Amino acid sequence: MTGGHRRILVVEDDPETAGQLVEQLTTSGYQVDLATCGNDALRRGSASEYAVITIDRMLPDVDGIAVMRRLRDDGIAAPFLIISALGEIDDKVRGLRAGGDDYLVKPFSFIELLARLEALGRRSDTVAKETILRVGDLAIDLISRTASRRSKAIELLPKEFQLLEYLVRNEGRVVSRAMLLQHVWDLHFDPSTNIIDVYVGRLRRKVDDQQAYPLIHTVRGIGYCLRAPD
Amino acid sequence: MLLTKTLTSSTFKLALIAIGTFGVIVSAIFSYVYLSTSAYVRSRSDRAIMAEYRDLRGVYEQSGREALIGIIRQRVADKAFAGHAYILSDTSSAVLAGNLAEWPPAATAPSGWTEFRAPGASLEGGGSPLVRGMIDSLPSGDRLLVGRDISDLDLFTGQIKTAVISGVLLIFLLAGVASVLVTRRTVGRIEQINATSRAIMASGLDKRIPLRGTHDEWDRVAENLNLMLERIETLVGEVKQVSDNLAHDLRTPLTRMRGRLEKAYHSQRFDEDAQALIGDTIADLDAVLRIFSSITRIAQIETGVRKEAFRTVNLVEIAQEVVELYDAAAEQNGSCLSMTGKGEVPATGDRDLIFDAIANLVDNAIKHGRVGGRVIVASETVNGVPVISVTDNGPGIPTDRRDQVFKRFYRLEQSRYTPGNGLGLSLVAAVARLHGARIEMSDNSPGLQFKLWFPAAGT
Repeated sequence: MTGGHRRILVVEDDPETAGQLVEQLTTSGYQVDLATCGNDALRRGSASEYAVITIDRMLPDVDGIAVMRRLRDDGIAAPFLIISALGEIDDKVRGLRAGGDDYLVKPFSFIELLARLEALGRRSDTVAKETILRVGDLAIDLISRTASRRSKAIELLPKEFQLLEYLVRNEGRVVSRAMLLQHVWDLHFDPSTNIIDVYVGRLRRKVDDQQAYPLIHTVRGIGYCLRAPD
Repeated sequence: MLLTKTLTSSTFKLALIAIGTFGVIVSAIFSYVYLSTSAYVRSRSDRAIMAEYRDLRGVYEQSGREALIGIIRQRVADKAFAGHAYILSDTSSAVLAGNLAEWPPAATAPSGWTEFRAPGASLEGGGSPLVRGMIDSLPSGDRLLVGRDISDLDLFTGQIKTAVISGVLLIFLLAGVASVLVTRRTVGRIEQINATSRAIMASGLDKRIPLRGTHDEWDRVAENLNLMLERIETLVGEVKQVSDNLAHDLRTPLTRMRGRLEKAYHSQRFDEDAQALIGDTIADLDAVLRIFSSITRIAQIETGVRKEAFRTVNLVEIAQEVVELYDAAAEQNGSCLSMTGKGEVPATGDRDLIFDAIANLVDNAIKHGRVGGRVIVASETVNGVPVISVTDNGPGIPTDRRDQVFKRFYRLEQSRYTPGNGLGLSLVAAVARLHGARIEMSDNSPGLQFKLWFPAAGT
């Protein structure tokens, strides 16, 4: 995990969950500040600059969404990751509409959280304007929507291309199944089957079979990562 | 519409029964009045005729035939006896005295009462008066008839008859009109309550029955129903609040649990067996959480809040996306998943929910269908009604189990050991209900065809 020097504000009222988050994020290389209530979050949020702010939807004093709005109104540009026990799309949509950038439902796996934080932190990076993306010997053409390895074309269905594109854009980062569902299929719920695994399995056969090295790697318990060997 | 409802309503039927009973009683009373009045009038007139007859008969018996002729002539000339009819004829029917031109042909009996028309008789009324009279054969063989013009009487009873009949008819008419009006009012109020009930079933508990401010029993019924709805709404709200809080309160400790397990899993401090145990526990915990969120999700769909976000969606497009998502899974299962239907099949709804419902149906069809079977998703507009269908050629669902499969956690014996939690079809049912869509299951022999009929556009 490449947290690096990044600074994160965690807003969480449950002491144990907060403790776990701080500990694990620190281990992963993030610099973590903790706010245990809405007012605390408002104070800290406007005082320093954060790469990402994770915020609990239900706080003892001010509602998480209200905190987010107030910080946005104060001109805080940091992306928000809403963490909530209200795992309903309705709330997700409401949360995102109120200025949240991503949404995670309790209980989540820590790797999922890391994957999301990575993806959110990257948003502020400049996005390359290239039309051909390359990872190792894989090249995908965003205009003609074709992919090839070692100049040999890979035949892909439109959805498979979208999936591959998302993996390529997140090269070297872990993407969770939920993230794939959200970004490739625009689904904000879990169809609660292994449907994504099956789908990625087929894509992997098309991309990696009979190649010098595999590109798509399974990350146990969370999802996938596309990377070329060092 | 309202008129049909009025005419078929039970109030109206009761009113008809009441009118019928009342009508029979009124008719009986009126008939009695009519019959007794006319009998009384007749008996008075008969008594007068009888007295006159006795007078004449007395004269005849005391003084003989000539005296009788004399008194008849005297009576005919006497203004006080106007309206009386007399005739005395001999054995050959020749008129000896009297004010009738001839012996009435209708009066053939030798003695007793008779009634006849006497055209041209110069009695009081003139014209062709109705005469009632007493006939008697005298010992000499002559026949005597003493009678009275009863045209007036006849007219009188006729008038009573007309009055009675029109009275009865008028009562029937008024009662009919009144019962239609009263029933209509009742039906109108009941219809209002029905309409509100339907609106509540269709959209939510926030509808109330309008009051008319008349403080009558209907307003009281409406008030009480409204109070009941208020109470139910509060309770449902409280239950929802409780389940929301429960979701939060349960998820927090579960998050901690999961966090600890994950930490243990990644700490590399355990041997492989323990590691596997922890991994399995995390997987089971995730399964519990998924069931949990499926239930909250169904409950949340059932509150109908999502209706606010409804917009026009293209069923073909959604079905296509589901097929795209599941074709890898079908391929893995050796089944063939295909899609028929092109272009636009517009319906009003929530894209994510419809997607979820179709995905559940397709998932079931692949999982419970035959290995190497066929699953066809189709979407079309039939007579303006958007419909989406998922068809497989697997074992199907027995007809008597078809209603039960929508119950939460219900699983068919045959699928007890396939993965799943028995909530998929409950979710489909909840989504269908939210969209006002009708679910139809039919035999594909072999297999099952599942159809979702959405409400026609614009309704």
